[in-house]
Amino acid sequence: MAAFEHFKEHYKDMYDVKLKPRMLRTLIRKHLPDEKQPLHSSFELAKVVSTIQTHSLLSESFEEESTDQKLIQSWNSVIDDWVNRVLLLASSNMSDKCWAGICLLGLTCQECSSARFFSSYSVWFQKLLSHLQPPADSQFVKVASCTSLSDLLTRLGRFSNLKNDGTSHSGKLIQPILKLLNEDSSEAVWDGAVSLLHTIITFFPASIHHHYDKAEAAVSSKILSGKCGPKMLKKLGHCLALLPKSKGDEGSWSLMMQKILVLINDHLNDVFQGMEEEAKSAKVRRLLVPPGKDPPPPLGGHTSLIGAIEKTIKRSDQLLTSSVSTLMICCCKLLTSSYPVQVPVPICSLLSLIERVLMMDGSCPQTMLPFMTAMQQELICSDLPVLHVHSLDLLIAVIKGMSRTFLHFKLGILLIPLLRGPISMAPSMHTFTSNIFIACSHLLPHAAEVVRLVTKYFRRCALPELRIKLYSITRTLLISMGVGMAMYLAHDIVDNASIDLNSVLEENAGTSASDPNSIKIQSAKRKRKHGASFESSEEQQDKTNTGLEVGAHKKHKIIPISLKMAALEALETLLTVGGVLGSESWRSSIDNLLIMIATYSCKGGWANEENDIFLPHESTSILADFQLAALRALLASLLAPARVRPPYLAQGLDLFCRGKQEAGTKIAGFCAYALLTLEVLIHPRTLALDDFPSACPNLSKEMGHDAPELDYEDDDFLLNVNDSPEKYPGKCMKDTVEPFKSKETDLVEKLPETNFAEKPPPSDACGIKAPEISEWEPATGNADVQMISDEDQIIVESHQFQKPVQFQEVVSAKSATNHEFAGDPQGTELKLGRAASGSDSLSHKDHDMVSTVNISQDKVEGSANVSGTTPSVIPRADKGKDPWNDGSDSDSSNDSFPDIVDADPDSDSD
Amino acid sequence: MEVVIASSSDDAGIGCWDLRTGAEKLRYKTCASPPHGLVSVGGRFLASSQLREPSASSGSVLFWSWSKPQPEVKSFPAEPIKPLAANSLGTYIVGGGSSGNIYLWEVATGRLLKKWKAHLRGVTCLVFSEDDSLLISGSEDGCIRVWSLFRIFDDVQSQQASHLYEHSITEHSLPVTDIVTGYGGCNAILVSASKDRTCKVWSLSEGRLLRNIVFPSEIDVIALDPGEHVFYAGSRDGNIYIVALHAESKPSKVFGMHIIGLLSDHSKPVTCLAYSKEGNSLLSGSEDGMVKVWDLKTQNIIRMFRHAKGPVNNILIVKPQSSPNLSKRHGSLLPPPLEKYANSSDKETDNKAVIALQATISSTPEPFYYSSQLINDHIKELQQQGSAAAEIDVERLKLDCKRSMQMLQQWKKMYDNLHEFCVDELLDGHQVPGSEGNSA
Repeated sequence: MAAFEHFKEHYKDMYDVKLKPRMLRTLIRKHLPDEKQPLHSSFELAKVVSTIQTHSLLSESFEEESTDQKLIQSWNSVIDDWVNRVLLLASSNMSDKCWAGICLLGLTCQECSSARFFSSYSVWFQKLLSHLQPPADSQFVKVASCTSLSDLLTRLGRFSNLKNDGTSHSGKLIQPILKLLNEDSSEAVWDGAVSLLHTIITFFPASIHHHYDKAEAAVSSKILSGKCGPKMLKKLGHCLALLPKSKGDEGSWSLMMQKILVLINDHLNDVFQGMEEEAKSAKVRRLLVPPGKDPPPPLGGHTSLIGAIEKTIKRSDQLLTSSVSTLMICCCKLLTSSYPVQVPVPICSLLSLIERVLMMDGSCPQTMLPFMTAMQQELICSDLPVLHVHSLDLLIAVIKGMSRTFLHFKLGILLIPLLRGPISMAPSMHTFTSNIFIACSHLLPHAAEVVRLVTKYFRRCALPELRIKLYSITRTLLISMGVGMAMYLAHDIVDNASIDLNSVLEENAGTSASDPNSIKIQSAKRKRKHGASFESSEEQQDKTNTGLEVGAHKKHKIIPISLKMAALEALETLLTVGGVLGSESWRSSIDNLLIMIATYSCKGGWANEENDIFLPHESTSILADFQLAALRALLASLLAPARVRPPYLAQGLDLFCRGKQEAGTKIAGFCAYALLTLEVLIHPRTLALDDFPSACPNLSKEMGHDAPELDYEDDDFLLNVNDSPEKYPGKCMKDTVEPFKSKETDLVEKLPETNFAEKPPPSDACGIKAPEISEWEPATGNADVQMISDEDQIIVESHQFQKPVQFQEVVSAKSATNHEFAGDPQGTELKLGRAASGSDSLSHKDHDMVSTVNISQDKVEGSANVSGTTPSVIPRADKGKDPWNDGSDSDSSNDSFPDIVDADPDSDSD
Repeated sequence: MEVVIASSSDDAGIGCWDLRTGAEKLRYKTCASPPHGLVSVGGRFLASSQLREPSASSGSVLFWSWSKPQPEVKSFPAEPIKPLAANSLGTYIVGGGSSGNIYLWEVATGRLLKKWKAHLRGVTCLVFSEDDSLLISGSEDGCIRVWSLFRIFDDVQSQQASHLYEHSITEHSLPVTDIVTGYGGCNAILVSASKDRTCKVWSLSEGRLLRNIVFPSEIDVIALDPGEHVFYAGSRDGNIYIVALHAESKPSKVFGMHIIGLLSDHSKPVTCLAYSKEGNSLLSGSEDGMVKVWDLKTQNIIRMFRHAKGPVNNILIVKPQSSPNLSKRHGSLLPPPLEKYANSSDKETDNKAVIALQATISSTPEPFYYSSQLINDHIKELQQQGSAAAEIDVERLKLDCKRSMQMLQQWKKMYDNLHEFCVDELLDGHQVPGSEGNSA
């Protein structure tokens, strides 16, 4: 690097600011042509552009404040040189240098500092304008000028204080742009001109105001001319839709919409000539132009011109189709792009127009047959899918436009939404008076109509591309309109998705699936053997593909993966939005379908998500996307609430677990998330009720509705025993418990009798009995006594012959205090021991009680002779508990009772 | 800024306080609202139905903008309206008439879009489901009905169906006093309160009874905790009961099944409740004219607002969405009054829906510059001129050339033949016109 040798000091690193002026100078010297030097190679220019962008060589921005003046000046002067050179190039007679200069000027507009832009943009503007007025010879120069001007205006649009200046500058551009559009013959130039027009409308809409009609005429005649490619047509359509913004009033928008719809309808008359009754067209027309009103002037305003075209050139169907498509795109844009004021959408005419197209399936009505030739019919049928696609797009736009969930307001009132997300005022505001309250979700009154149209079309529609769009429409409807919509659409989605997805399963069904229609079933079988055998390594790589191919052989109809994905997504949305609603009829079959699909799609391993650079676009990752869609739908099916536990939870978990191991893929990420969400299903949590007295983990859970009524006493008991009110902050509870005390004891007196009367025959197993007994447990006023009594009852059941004696004890125990009870420790202990040993089948709760009561009594009495029996009981109880630990609520009971044990002596000693 | 709005059945106006600071704001005048008769329409303005003399033939609904104390728009529906509800975006207002009719108006135009016979007796409460697609109404005869707005608007289906509603729940024996719905679309729950001293929890999608709670006293109002582990029931005995919704929660014998606590400070019946997400607090209004703010964590009262001597019967917590500083030259800030009758003659407006296409981003669009892209495109084009595309062109030209050569040969041959023919003819001495020879 010779350049560096001159320089005495070295640079710190590649981020050193001092490096930048230096680099720029080198670029100017070495890579930029001047008057004498020709442009060596266009590659050099690419290098210049990328270097400038990478290092921000034109930015003149310093990281730290205190940079020495010398550096600032040197950078400044280098950029001066750069700008001079670029301007010089742009004035060159050689078109290649001129082109390079213009392009680099555009780059400068984008990259330079605000101060520099501010001071010199008008000079640059004049320079660029000189190539459009009069137009330069070279096509490249014209296009480059348009693009650079567009960049200049874009930058200018960022300066809010330069709005007026920008408007007046761009006003000068309109004429030359329209001239280019009307007179030039190259599509590239039109493209540049339309892009520039688009920029002007976006940033300085007011500048078009005076040329509105001419602009409309130029753009619309281009659309109708049939000389543009599809991409260009789309741009033109967008431009046309944005035009009303330059006026920004309700009337312009409505008029544009009306003109376009009328034109579409007229064109459709030509296309569908002889294929449908006149009534349909007349109906749309009547909605568009109400009887008694004047029709709008034709689009573009030049009737004569269009008439001339129509007469002289035999308009081909192709041309009609393309212009109808473009006009529909334009409609979509009108409906979805922002507009400064609220506008009346002719919803009925839009819907009937869409219906008119969608219901045209190429069949001839009987009455029309004599007038149609097969040739005509063929032509229409070949064009219909395009028209349908665009009509569906229009329908999507209608739904989107009508159900925008943003809060709107009219200017002048400025209802600033505080916490409503990204809403704000339109950039340009015009004064406008009418009511301000703009409603959203306006589709509601027409929702039924939309749904009817969609479902009707769903039944007819067979093309994958169209079906994908339909699925997306149904998803939009479901999400934006919620449950009510789910009720309407559920069956259609389920039916259609099942049709589209069942083929996957049929392919998958293995050799046993017998399809009587299949001619090539033999070959299919053979192939499938390869595909499904897990040994063959070559086939293994591409198993899913093989499977699909096989399916194609068999079904004679390939359902593309993208359509299956759309169907899966629709099902996912349906399950999310309306999982339980009237789902009894379809839910189980859909759950089954989804697990099958997920299993099938993932059985061959996980698709490689990396894009193969040798294949166009993302054709490889579509398999991964399909797997992802299948897994997502599966998750929705597992999570969507149903009356029953998800039947395929185990399989689903297995899939997700396997998927999680594919580190670094989207699938792994999703599977990890799915496992997290499913975890709640596996371990149903009792969510901590922080703000309330926590649920006492006792038997009430098992008892359904009977127990809770009596359960409160348990809390009371815990409070007394534990002496830890902070755990139960419900002050009012404690207070209110007291007055009820006496009532409780009354109740207690009665209880044993009832209990006894209801006692089932002795043959009943203790384990079964246990819950019922425990129902009575909370009823007692004193916890210790109550527990004992429970145990007594258990003993009663275990040893029926002791019944009378035991019962007496129970009764006495109820009214007794701890101390009274302590008078007969021996007998109780004995019984307890027997109870524990003699009832292996007792539920763990009973064991708990046995042990607890034992210990507590032991401590209360301080009696030595009891200790002999307790150890034999406790281990048993613990053992008995173990199998229950798997139960969902055993944790809680384990936790609680030790507490009681610990606290008990304290409370009693107090 | 969240404000508390409270109204009363006495003509005590609508009180408005800043929830955080407790400062009283503007008091909106002339309002005597029935229970559930006060609603904030999309946060943009307040609407309230008015108690009328029993003899009055028409109802009355008033609108207040945030900035003015006087009602700005007065509507007079065909019959007295008691409960009023608006969907979350404020597109529609529904009102329940004392004859059992429900009226649905479009706010932007004031048009009465639908009116239908919902109940045999007066409608007592109206509420939208969380996703605004269902409407739930309660009536004086204890009946609760769930309406799908889609079905209401679907003329074709509604003519075919025997009834319009999705569910009709008739398990309350006395008038329904309040209804709330929870989150979760079709999985949402519905809690209803009635004068029969019960609250019932329903599944919204199936209309199935999930839980029945019996209270010691009549419940006038309920509020649902957003987490839905409990709901709060304001009772005529002045208590606010806390009722568990979780299956695992701990019920109490003291108050009744599922009731796990109470907040008690009001001396008179609790008539309205509102939950505030800011600070997890519950607001309660009572017939003693007080509005109390409870901290739900500590269950203490943290603030009190005195509304009036008369009973408070509506509380709302609203985030007003307006800026009062703008000029008034645009006239009224409020929509037109609600129409009395459905105007079916106006077919043209029926076909149109007024929407606003608001920019969805706040600032000017993110700038996108094209120059560098263009340079690259053009460079690519320049590069390609010498490459594959040209090769194909050359091939094509070669082919053309070959074809032309062949053609030339053919013409030449033809000419030769003709020449020969002519010479022969001449030599034979016959005069033949050239054209004939050409066509031969």
